[in-house]
Amino acid sequence: MIDLRRRTGTSLVAVMIGHVVLISIQINTASGVGVFEGMAFGVFSEVQRAVSGTASTVTTLWDGYVGLQSVQAENEELRRDMAKLQLRLQRERALAQRARGLEELLGLRRVVGASTLSARVIAGDATPYFRTVTIDRGARDGVRRDSAVVSPDGVVGRVVGTPTLQAAKVQLLIDRSAAAGALIERTRVAGLVMGDADERVLRMEYVSNLDDVQVGDVVVTSGIEGIYPKGHVIGDVDVVQRGPGLYRTIHVRVRVGFTDLEDVLVLVPEPAVGLTAAGGE
Amino acid sequence: MRIAWIGLGLGVALAVQTTLAQMVAGTGAPVDLVLVVVVVVAIATGPLSGLWTGTVGGLLQDALSGGVIGVGALAKTVVGYLVGQFGAQFMVTRPAHQIPVFFVGSLVHAAFFIGVYALLFEGDTIVSTYHDLLIQAATNTVIGGGAAIGLQVVPGAIERRQLRRRWPSRRPGD
Repeated sequence: MIDLRRRTGTSLVAVMIGHVVLISIQINTASGVGVFEGMAFGVFSEVQRAVSGTASTVTTLWDGYVGLQSVQAENEELRRDMAKLQLRLQRERALAQRARGLEELLGLRRVVGASTLSARVIAGDATPYFRTVTIDRGARDGVRRDSAVVSPDGVVGRVVGTPTLQAAKVQLLIDRSAAAGALIERTRVAGLVMGDADERVLRMEYVSNLDDVQVGDVVVTSGIEGIYPKGHVIGDVDVVQRGPGLYRTIHVRVRVGFTDLEDVLVLVPEPAVGLTAAGGE
Repeated sequence: MRIAWIGLGLGVALAVQTTLAQMVAGTGAPVDLVLVVVVVVAIATGPLSGLWTGTVGGLLQDALSGGVIGVGALAKTVVGYLVGQFGAQFMVTRPAHQIPVFFVGSLVHAAFFIGVYALLFEGDTIVSTYHDLLIQAATNTVIGGGAAIGLQVVPGAIERRQLRRRWPSRRPGD
């Protein structure tokens, strides 16, 4: 009988073989070790929620206390801003109604809609090597694997793994293994944006050397991968160079501030709705 | 009792790493607190505890992160074992001697972690710059050094306080 407490070398070999088997299982199958991952994520997301909630309460209390000093001036400024925004909202609403009317008139169909769900970022990645965050919305709120996550500034990422009831893991677009179909808004040139070593920059691949791309062009989602809806802003072209092969070297500077993400919107798919346009079928 | 303390240490490290560290340093904070706990445990208790702490901490960390489960655990197991063996062979009881162990341990961990990913995904998935790795190793060293000093100073201070309570010193002339 081997006494494992004395034979550390044997323990090391046994544990390493275990790890290699575990890694091999995940590499060979698409689903991975769902049970362990699910359990660990489910249990720990509650701890993260509690820690994040406590920290956020302390921060809010402190901010509230410090903020009292300049609150009056800020209130007046906010009131003025709100009045301006209300005016702008009315104008946008009028424009939206007009666009909706035109859309119906042209006989376009809205096959699959998406409603948004606000979520709070409660935790970051457990290692410094990956770019994922945990949000406080899960399967109970309708969040599914591959649900797109956006913010007012642009695309944030997608839900990976199976969400628990109250939490979900989001792979940020800046993760080195993340990618999304993209378009240059001005010229409609298509490509693929991918995470890079620099957190503020994405690589845009598969854009021909012959295509027209300029520094400052806005890059939006193309929706080709079926995860991100078409037309959401990704960022702006920062560097364009003629590549050594067929494709250009393009760097896209992201608009979303990934280093201090706090609140995001999850696009939750709605049941298919067929809108028949006036004069349509 | 020791296992409970190690478990608590790992839990606190994970909670801080995923919440407070992200609040302070943003997404992808350049620190690995679980690795710091693994090195502290390995130095203090030896290779067997080090490798098991690395295994458990690494598996939990992998499950919570976006990577393949087992890669971080493998790297931390190796680091826990090597640091434990080093601690058993050489005198690394003083914090000044432990500081280089944190730095080298962080680099060995990064080499294993990135190496395994390079083998699995042909080097395309995890490509940290040397600059990032050095910053991460330096941060781990600062935090680990602080923890080592704390672990050496705090128990002695508590003991002295308890002794003072039991036998209060008498002033001359009392």
